[in-house]
Amino acid sequence: MKRPAIAVTGLGMITPVGHTTDTTWDGVRAGRSPARTVPELQGCAVDFACTVSGIDLDDAVGGRTAFRMGRYVKFAVLAAREAVADAGLDPAHWDGARVAVVVGTSSGGSAGLTEQAVALERRGPEATSPAGILLTIPNMPAAEIAIRMRATGPSLAPCTACSSGVTALSVARDMLALGHCDIAVAGATESIVFPVAMTGFARSGAAASRDGDPARLCRPFAADRAGIVMGEGAAVMVLERAEDARARGALPRALIAGTGATTDAHHPTSPHPSGDVARAAVDGALREAGWRAEDVDHVNAHGTSTPLNDATEAALIRRAYPHRPPVTAPKGVLGHCMGAAGAIEAGLTILTLQHGVVPPIANLDAPEPGFDIDCVTKVPREVPVRRAVSHSFGFGGHNAVIALQAP
Amino acid sequence: MKTIHPKITEVLTGTFKVPAAEILPESTMDSLEMDSLAVAEFAVIIKETLGVDADSEKLYKDATLADISAYIDAAVGSAAAEVTVPVSNTR
Repeated sequence: MKRPAIAVTGLGMITPVGHTTDTTWDGVRAGRSPARTVPELQGCAVDFACTVSGIDLDDAVGGRTAFRMGRYVKFAVLAAREAVADAGLDPAHWDGARVAVVVGTSSGGSAGLTEQAVALERRGPEATSPAGILLTIPNMPAAEIAIRMRATGPSLAPCTACSSGVTALSVARDMLALGHCDIAVAGATESIVFPVAMTGFARSGAAASRDGDPARLCRPFAADRAGIVMGEGAAVMVLERAEDARARGALPRALIAGTGATTDAHHPTSPHPSGDVARAAVDGALREAGWRAEDVDHVNAHGTSTPLNDATEAALIRRAYPHRPPVTAPKGVLGHCMGAAGAIEAGLTILTLQHGVVPPIANLDAPEPGFDIDCVTKVPREVPVRRAVSHSFGFGGHNAVIALQAP
Repeated sequence: MKTIHPKITEVLTGTFKVPAAEILPESTMDSLEMDSLAVAEFAVIIKETLGVDADSEKLYKDATLADISAYIDAAVGSAAAEVTVPVSNTR
């Protein structure tokens, strides 16, 4: 099937290193993690994370409705606002019926649900919020964006754990290709830095445990990597058919050349050791893009800093891209932003296309011996990048890959 | 002179970010653009912080801030205040 080219015309981000796309890019390029002890996690087995700080989210989203929004919803609203402005669009003047909103999340409002459960248990039903359900259900980022932007087209909240962001972009791309909308506001958001979730991650064995400075703990592809450091944030993009963008004079940041998705169907937390099913997602994205492997100038790895993921992914990269394109893994800086990670990293990959700069992997001097991949370390690498691929692999075995190219 | 209970001002400016300049004795929740859900949330906070029960739709939604203040002052002063707060259903 011949698909219309889909352009990314707007980008918005809020992450542990910046409240906007530009400040996030500066922070990721600098290659330093902001991970720190989080007071709210006192007493937890893992009491550190990369968090969004230095912003009054309630003020930023507009206060009268902030009480009904979880932190992850506020992130999404802010990222969407930046993305739409970046695209040069104004919701006051667009045909809202032709605007879709597709914003994924992994855990949704689990923090809000927990807070309400505690209130109910300790102080009874009258102490719970009338907005308790809204603080819980995972479609609210999409819904609140739609409300604010008069977007009355289709909206939904894809969930494929840590690959939710790429899944959301892929679904939005398909909706545009099928003519279900003319503009798609798409991305993902997450905020689960709270004791119940952090304890769960610690007990799953996936989290890095405290061993010195938290900012040094996330070391994707390092021989001594020791697990995930939690992050949070959101990235939202504006997608349009490239032809429509051109017609209104918009300058795309990038084109979505292809996407691929597969499911390991193997184990809830461990990647299939062969990596073959994840590889099939890569191959699917390349096939859809019409690229050969050697066309790929850069790989944004999922790179969680867990022993299993990074070993499997390094082997996959070596086999799938034998010409050794430069590899980065932003989780070294940002931590693992879970459901939002794929959207944030697709955004960073677009910035690499635009700037010709691959950011370094934080806390990595050299990859583990035997990982025959070209990791960018210590300083950003200036290199022309026309075509790039970003990997996302989620708990449950969800593999999603997006191929992005310069317009 | 009609006054506004300080907790009302604190909640409206703190939780709901209503500009202080808009918080006047004659203001109503409607005039402050507080919808039913927001007013119900306001009632929960008042109950949690001051122990004052109220049917938010009946007693807060259309009342002026001066009237709400008078109600809260009376309720705080009277141990007999005993009204349940129904949780509003929006959908």
